[in-house]
Amino acid sequence: MAMTEDALPTAREAKKKEAYFTASQYQLVWARFRKNRSALIAGSILMFFILIAVFAEFVAPYEPTKAGFDRSYLNGPPQLPLFWDDNGFSLRPFVYTYKQKRDENFHLIFDVKKELDQRRYLEFFVEGWEYHLINTYVDLPGEGLDFRLTVLPMNRHLFGVDKGKVHLFGTDRQKKDLFSRVVFAIRISLSIGAIGVFIAFVLALAIGGTAGYYGGWTDRITQMITDAVRVVPTIPLFMAMAAFVPAEWSSEARFFFISMILGLVGWPTLARRIRTHILAERSQDYILASHLCGARPSHIIRRHLLPSFTSYIIVDLVISFPYMVLSETALSFVGLGLKDPVNSLGVLLQNVTDVDVMLNYQWYFIPLPIFVVIVMSFVFVGDGLRDAADPYTVHK
Amino acid sequence: MGRPLISVRDLTLQFDTDEGRITAVNRVSFDIAPGEVMGLVGESGSGKSVTAKSLMQLNARNAVYGPDSRIILNLEDREIDVLALKSPADLLVIRGGAISMVFQEPMASFAPALTIGSQMIETLMIHLKISKAEAKDTAIDMLARVGIADASSRFNQYVFELSGGMRQRAMIAMALSTKPKLLIADEPTTALDVTIQAQVLELMQDLVKEFHMGILFITHDLGVIAQTADHIAVMYLGELVETGSTRTVIHHPRHPYTRGLLNAIPKLDELDAPLVAVPGDIPSPLERPSGCVFHTRCSEVIEGRCAAEEPEMKPVDKDHDVACFAVELADAGRAENTAP
Amino acid sequence: MSESIVSIRDLSVHFPITGGWFGPKLVVRALDDIDLEIKRGQFFGLVGESGSGKTTLGRAILKAAPISKGEIIFHDGEREFDVNNLAKQDVLAFRRQAQLIFQDPYAALSPRMTVRDIIAEPLEVMKLTQSKDETNQRVRDIASECRLNVEHLRRFPHAFSGGQRQRISIARALVAKPSFLVADESVAALDVSIQADILNLLKSLQQEHGFTFFFISHDLSVVAHVCDVVAVMYLGRLVEMAPSRKLFSRQRHPYTAALLSAIPSLDPDHHHKAIKLEGEIPSPLSPPPGCRFHTRCSFARDRCRVEKPEWRTIDDEHFVACHFADELDL
Repeated sequence: MAMTEDALPTAREAKKKEAYFTASQYQLVWARFRKNRSALIAGSILMFFILIAVFAEFVAPYEPTKAGFDRSYLNGPPQLPLFWDDNGFSLRPFVYTYKQKRDENFHLIFDVKKELDQRRYLEFFVEGWEYHLINTYVDLPGEGLDFRLTVLPMNRHLFGVDKGKVHLFGTDRQKKDLFSRVVFAIRISLSIGAIGVFIAFVLALAIGGTAGYYGGWTDRITQMITDAVRVVPTIPLFMAMAAFVPAEWSSEARFFFISMILGLVGWPTLARRIRTHILAERSQDYILASHLCGARPSHIIRRHLLPSFTSYIIVDLVISFPYMVLSETALSFVGLGLKDPVNSLGVLLQNVTDVDVMLNYQWYFIPLPIFVVIVMSFVFVGDGLRDAADPYTVHK
Repeated sequence: MGRPLISVRDLTLQFDTDEGRITAVNRVSFDIAPGEVMGLVGESGSGKSVTAKSLMQLNARNAVYGPDSRIILNLEDREIDVLALKSPADLLVIRGGAISMVFQEPMASFAPALTIGSQMIETLMIHLKISKAEAKDTAIDMLARVGIADASSRFNQYVFELSGGMRQRAMIAMALSTKPKLLIADEPTTALDVTIQAQVLELMQDLVKEFHMGILFITHDLGVIAQTADHIAVMYLGELVETGSTRTVIHHPRHPYTRGLLNAIPKLDELDAPLVAVPGDIPSPLERPSGCVFHTRCSEVIEGRCAAEEPEMKPVDKDHDVACFAVELADAGRAENTAP
Repeated sequence: MSESIVSIRDLSVHFPITGGWFGPKLVVRALDDIDLEIKRGQFFGLVGESGSGKTTLGRAILKAAPISKGEIIFHDGEREFDVNNLAKQDVLAFRRQAQLIFQDPYAALSPRMTVRDIIAEPLEVMKLTQSKDETNQRVRDIASECRLNVEHLRRFPHAFSGGQRQRISIARALVAKPSFLVADESVAALDVSIQADILNLLKSLQQEHGFTFFFISHDLSVVAHVCDVVAVMYLGRLVEMAPSRKLFSRQRHPYTAALLSAIPSLDPDHHHKAIKLEGEIPSPLSPPPGCRFHTRCSFARDRCRVEKPEWRTIDDEHFVACHFADELDL
C-alpha cells in the first residue's frame, strides 16, 4: 500500500520528497540548521577562526615568541595595507616605511615615510621562518612523559613584505608582532576549550551513561556525587586548583593542567543531560522491541541509544565550549591561568590593564573584539543546532 | 428549525507553517439548534477538532480564517459574530460563558497543583458575577449533579486523586457550571473504559434534557454518535461530505466515504460480515488531493470530474445532504427513469 | 494439531512500588492466579478494561514482565520452555518463537533506522541468516507479504503513515518466523478505516503461516470479528472464556454481560439500556476481597464478598469464575 500519489508530481518534486523520506537523522538536522540564517553566518565565522587556529604558523608572518621580534618597532601602531594614496594607485597592497626615532623630549615617535620609493609591497606565500606542519611537543613534569612529534617542515607564510617587517596589529612593548601573537592565541584558546570539553564529555558519558542505563541504586549514588560536584562554586574552585600549580612546571604542562581542571569542573552538567536523555529513550517501545529479539545491552546501546542522543550531545558540547573558553580567559586574565610565552587571548588581555596602554597603545585591545566574536559565534551555532537537533518531534 | 443556536457558514481555516499554507477546514457549514446534539464525525486529519476550536477562537495564532467564514452565535438578547471578536473581554463570552468545552484528556484540563474546587470557583467568578461563597455552593452542587459522590470533600481534592471517569465528570461539571448554551465535547469518552463511557454518555444525555443546551459532539466512534446524536456531520480531510439526521445517515448512507466507514466498523450483531477497509491511506494535509478530496480512495470515482471539481453539498432527501458527483449522477439518472 | 502452545498455571505478577526511601511498600497486583491454555493455531482474544492486567499477561508470556508466582510453559512442538527459568542458551531460541506487536506505531520503530534495518534487526541479532543477501531477501519477502512497497524500504519511519508503520511493526515481528505472536492493542491507535485493513492483514497472515495469535484489546467488537476464542479479564483475574460466537450470544458472567451491553450500538433505533455498573474500577493496589467484581455487581451476595470464585468449566469449552453463574440468566 504505497503512499498516495495523486496530482502527478514533477520529477523534481518527487526527487525532493524521496530525499526527505530517505534522509538520515543528520541530514534532517542539517536541513533544518541551514534554514537558520544567523546560525549559518556564525558557523562560517567559526570555521574561519578554526582554520586560522589550525594553520597558525602559516597565517602568522613572524614567530610570536621573542624570536620574531622587530627591533626597530617598539610599541608600534598597526600598519594598515593600502591600495591607494597621494602617490597613485597600486594593484598590490603596500605599507609605508616607519622609522622610529626619539624627539626632543626623548619620546619615541614614528616617522612615516610615504614616498613612492618608500613603499613596501605585500607579498603572498612568502618564505619566512621555519616551522613544521605538525609540531607537538609535550613537556610534562618528569622525564618519562615528554615527547616531540614533528612532521613536514615548511617555511611558507600567508603574507609578508619585501623589506623589513609588516605589523598589521602593531607591536607590543617587547617588540613582538601582535598579529602573530593573536593568531597563536586563538589556537591556544580554542585548543584549551576543546580539550576541556573532551575531558568533560568522556567523564560525563561514562558517569551519566551508566546512571541512566542501569537506573536504580547506581543512578541514585551517581546522582548524589554529581550534585555534590555541581554545587561547588566554580570560580573559587578554579582559583584554588590553579593556585596549586607548581611554578616550575613548563607552560605546556600548565596548559594541560588548566584544561584538565576545566574538564573536571564541567562534567556534572553534561552528565546530568546525558542521563536524562538515556532515561527518556530507554523506556521507548522500540528499545523493548529490540530487547525482545534477544539483543544484548551492548547492541541496544550501540544501535539505538547512542544514535538517539548523539545530536543532543553535540549540541551540549558546542554550548559548553564558550563556557570553557570564558573560564580559561578569566583565569588567565587574573594571572592564574596560562602565562607567557604560552599565550591565550586571556593572557594577551592581561596586558591591557595598564593605564599607559589605555591611553597610548589602544591596539592592545584588538584581541578583545576577536574573543567576543568567537564566543558569540559558538553561542549562535549552539542555539541553531539545538533548534535543529530534534527533527522527529513534529509527527502526525 | 427556528433560529439555530449557532450557525457556521463557509468556515475555511488554513495554517501558516514552515512547509507552507495547509488547509485544515474548507467551506464547512452547519447549524445546531438549541437542545440538539450534533455529532461531528471524522478520522485523523478530518479537521473536526479544529472546527470545534474555531467556535471558541481557540486556534493557534498562525490560523488564517477564510474571508467568507462566519460563525454566528444566537443568544436570547443578541447575536455574536464569533470570528469578529477581538478583545479578551469580548472573547470571554464564548470561552466558558455561552460556550463551554470538554476535552478528551481531563488530566490536561485541570491544573495539577490546584484543587478542583479552586479551579471551578475561578471559572464561575470570571463568568458570573457572584461571590466566592456562592461560587463554592454552585460548584459543589454541580459536582453532585454529575454523579460524584461525596461532592463536598471531592471539591478539595486534586485532579490526580480522581479516577478517569470521575475526572471527566468533574470536567463536565466545570464546563456546565456557567450554564452555557452550547457545550463542545471533543472526544470526551475516547480515553475512558467502555463501562465508564456508558455512564458518562448517559449523564450527558440527562444534562442536555435538563439544561436544554446544544452539544457539538466530536468523535471518531460512530457507535457513540448513533446513540447520542440527533444530527450527524461527516468530515474528511477538512471537508463536509455528508450531513443529516442520525437515523437517515446511518441507515441510508450515500457518500462513498460514509459507506466505507460504516462497512469498516466491526459490528456485534453481524459477526459473520467481513471487515471491508477503505482502500489507501488518509493523505497528509500537505498533499491535499485536488477536486473532491476523497477521490483518491473512492470506488465510485468519475474519470476526469472528481479530480478536477469540488462537489457541493446538495440535498438528497429530507434532512440529508451529500457532496458527491456520483450521488448526483445516480439521483439524476433515477429521476430520469421515473419521469413520466 | 490442537495441543497447547502456551500453558499458564497459577500465574501471579505483582509489582512493588516503593514510596521513596522510607515510604510504605505498596504492591500492584497486576495478575493473580491465572490458569490458561492457549491452543496452537488459535486466534486468541484477551479483553479487559484498564487495570485488568491484560497487557501484563501478554508481556509475562514473552518474558518481558517479572513472574511472582506460578509458571508459564511454552511448547514449541519439540521442546518445552519454562519461561520463568530459561537457561541462558535457550533465551534466543525462545525469543525467536514468540514476538510482540506494539500499540503505538510511532514509538515502536526506531526513528533513526531505515525500514529495511528495522525489519532486519531480529534476523541480525538472532543470527538467523548466513549472508547479507539472504537477509535482504527475507526482508523483502515479508515486507511484500505485509503489503509494503519494497521500493520504500530504504526510507525512514518518518516517511510513513500510522497504518503503514503498523505494517512495518508486523513485518518485523514476523520476519523470524515465530510461532506465537502477541498483539498488544495493535489497532487501537489507528483510524477505523485503517484498522479494518490491518485486521484483515493479520487474519490472512495467520491463515497463511499458521502461527498462534494472542490479541489483546479493550475493544470487544474488534475481538468479536477476528478471534476464535475470547477471554475476559477484570482486575487481574480471568472472569470468562469461551469460543467467540458462544461468548457473544450468551454470557455467563455479569461483568461480560455488562461490558457487552455498554458498547453503543451502531443502530440509532436500537436503544438498549446499558447494564448499569455502579462506581469506578477499583485500584489494583487494593483489589476487593473475595470476587473482585462484587463491588459493582448487581447480583452480589454475601458469599461473593469473602470467597474467591473458582475458575471452572460451565459448558463445552466455556469457562467462568462466578459463584452463581449457573443460576443467573443474563
